Amino acid sequence: MDIITNILNLFGLEGKLFIAQIINFAVLLIILKIFLYKPIAQILEERKAKIKQGLDDAENAKKALEEADSQKLSILKEAKVDADKILDNTKKSSEILKQKSSEDAKRQATEIVDNAKKQAQAEFDKASKQVGSMSVDLSKKIVSKILSEIFTEQDKTAILSKAVEKIEKGGYEKATN
Amino acid sequence: MTLAPSVLFHIGSFPVTNTLLTTIVVDVIIIALVIVFNKCLSLYPKGIQNFLEMVYEYFYNATKEVSSKVEIIYPWVITFFIFIVISNVLGQFPGFETIRFHAAGSGEEGVPLFRTATSDLNVTLAFAVISIIMCHFYSIKYTGVKSYIGRFLSLSPIFLFVGLLEFIGEFTKVISLSCRLFGNLFAGESVMGTISSMSIWGIPLPFFGVPIPFMMLELMVAVIQAIVFAMLTMAFMSIMVEKH
Repeated sequence: MDIITNILNLFGLEGKLFIAQIINFAVLLIILKIFLYKPIAQILEERKAKIKQGLDDAENAKKALEEADSQKLSILKEAKVDADKILDNTKKSSEILKQKSSEDAKRQATEIVDNAKKQAQAEFDKASKQVGSMSVDLSKKIVSKILSEIFTEQDKTAILSKAVEKIEKGGYEKATN
Repeated sequence: MTLAPSVLFHIGSFPVTNTLLTTIVVDVIIIALVIVFNKCLSLYPKGIQNFLEMVYEYFYNATKEVSSKVEIIYPWVITFFIFIVISNVLGQFPGFETIRFHAAGSGEEGVPLFRTATSDLNVTLAFAVISIIMCHFYSIKYTGVKSYIGRFLSLSPIFLFVGLLEFIGEFTKVISLSCRLFGNLFAGESVMGTISSMSIWGIPLPFFGVPIPFMMLELMVAVIQAIVFAMLTMAFMSIMVEKH
């Protein structure tokens, strides 16, 4: 028994110190459990959830991107088809427009030429009439002057009226020819 | 350097030793760490949070690998590790052994004010006893009294002998756990004390940087012994909480 007591004394083993250390450790364990392990576990769990969510989001974003890419391709294809259609229609309508405008131009030109012809004819007729009336007057004067010396007044009038009639007739025929 | 810790003073009949004083210093450091950790706790870890998370995850995962009762075991394992490693490393700081205290009957030289907590058998034995008692407590709680007694008692003579060995083994566990830690740390302190007090041609060896390799070795021992104690506790507990 003395040997055990000696050994205990040699190592400084004492009940009070031993129990103090046990209590100290128990208190420390409780403190660490509440204020260290619990928050660490919570934060790790939170981080794990956030990382999982991040990875899921990335996966969803990847899928959405792939979908958008395929949609883009189909839209581009559709757009190309539409563009080709529009181009064809435009070509066709421009061709029609070109043809129409050319026909219009021709028609207008013909109309202008016809109008010009008609106007020229009218002008010519008018001028012919004027020339005719002028020549009648002139002939009247010349004939009356010449006949005044040879024929009587009654003859002069008859000849004159005949001559005038002839001149008028001849002028009209010339004008119509 | 004596095997027993030096008594600095008494509070009533309670002896306050230098190892107890160091234990309080270690407690203060741990509580300060916890306060700092809680203040800078963030989803994006940095500094001390990173380090504590690393320690936590290392022991948590190690426990998870060997036992299904990880939530029960890991707090003990990490607390042992944190206390022992801080206590051991603190022993390498200047002031340990060198700051003297004139206690009653300590002579002219006095006694060291601080001494590594784990170089006191009171501390290591207390830890070992806690470890083994908790092993048995959890064994009864999770495997049942019948299974627990079945570890040590059997009708078969061979298994009865094995049970007897197991029973003795529980005491040797306490002795091996406590004496391993105490022996390593006490020996380390003794070596450091001896090397530091030696001199050549009247010039102390520390002037030649001789203690530096020993300090490196001591730092290694400090961490290794803390891990060994924590891991052994983990192994003992994980064995005891599984059915026999």
